[in-house]
Amino acid sequence: MELKKGKYRLEERGLNFSLSDDLNFNNKKSCFYFRGGNGFGKTSFLEKIIIPGFKNANAQYIYIGQDMRTQLYTLRALLSVQGFKVANNDEMELLRLWINNSRSATVFILDEFDKYFPDHGFIFDWSDSFIQTYIFVTHLGGSRPDAVAQKFKTSNVKFELIGFDGHLKNVQIGKE
Amino acid sequence: MVIFKLAIICIFIFTFFGLFVFGPLYDHIPIQAVAFVAVIGWNVLRFSVRETISLLKFCFPFVLSLFIFGLIFHFTRLLGRQDWLEDTLIKCLVFPSSLVFLKVILTYITYLDILNLPISMKKRVDLITVKSAFSKGEKILRRFSWYLNTYPELKSGSKIKYTLKKYVCLIIALYLYLYEEIENSNRLLRNRYQHLYEARE
Repeated sequence: MELKKGKYRLEERGLNFSLSDDLNFNNKKSCFYFRGGNGFGKTSFLEKIIIPGFKNANAQYIYIGQDMRTQLYTLRALLSVQGFKVANNDEMELLRLWINNSRSATVFILDEFDKYFPDHGFIFDWSDSFIQTYIFVTHLGGSRPDAVAQKFKTSNVKFELIGFDGHLKNVQIGKE
Repeated sequence: MVIFKLAIICIFIFTFFGLFVFGPLYDHIPIQAVAFVAVIGWNVLRFSVRETISLLKFCFPFVLSLFIFGLIFHFTRLLGRQDWLEDTLIKCLVFPSSLVFLKVILTYITYLDILNLPISMKKRVDLITVKSAFSKGEKILRRFSWYLNTYPELKSGSKIKYTLKKYVCLIIALYLYLYEEIENSNRLLRNRYQHLYEARE
């Protein structure tokens, strides 16, 4: 899936994005880091533009939202329906089971996952054998663990507030 | 005053259920349809169109399964009955309207009303916990549904199978959430009350 540069408007979220570079998520072994201040629409861009794009392209993806503790209830339910015994599993074990069971996915999207697990190298250990593209939303300065740096080409994508258009925030998105 | 308010709410509930669910108006399809529209309109006024649509979406699979079973019973003439279709239509109206009615009317009971009830603090804490958990549960449903839509594993098979699996997951997730939420909120409230009480002593 490729997002062409241009304008993307999310009226209901009060956001007007201006994407200044094409974002190609088809490149193999790539890792995108979305950075920018609070309220600049990183999660909205993910949930309203990128994820529907993957759905339309029939791309298989795994998404861990920034309200992961809420999402875990649905994962527990999903895994139970699939026949796994998850009654006593902690969150790490649930995630491991789910990721291991989602090997058809080629894209892995994580929104502020590092606020739960600052050292998130285990995500790569569990999934880099089948995932081609990672997308991270992060507020932290660092990026990936060293071992991953050799395998994946990193792109930093910055979200910057450039002004207001009435009640809409104008946000510029571009590669650094 | 609070007792008076609760008494009025109880009278409304008993009247609604006494007339439309267990009473003389149960098997009048046009009256049930009017009651359904009125209750939905009340929900729109009390909350919003968006919230009402999401509530109806939540009810839809249950109503649909009721309808499908009703059709099967009708065509197989189960137990020799001729009125399966009519009975099913009534149930398809009564189920969502009674659910929405209860949901709307119970929102008129506020936390302050519970605090003013002449009952023990332990019972007040229990009531506050239940009210808080259910109002959170209602909001969380939309988010759960959104997450379930992102799981490709659920989408294998036919659309009906997918919808059924999704709703099973939704109900399990909601049950787990409410169970934990009730337990945690109750513990938190009791703990705070105990410390406030001890500080006052």
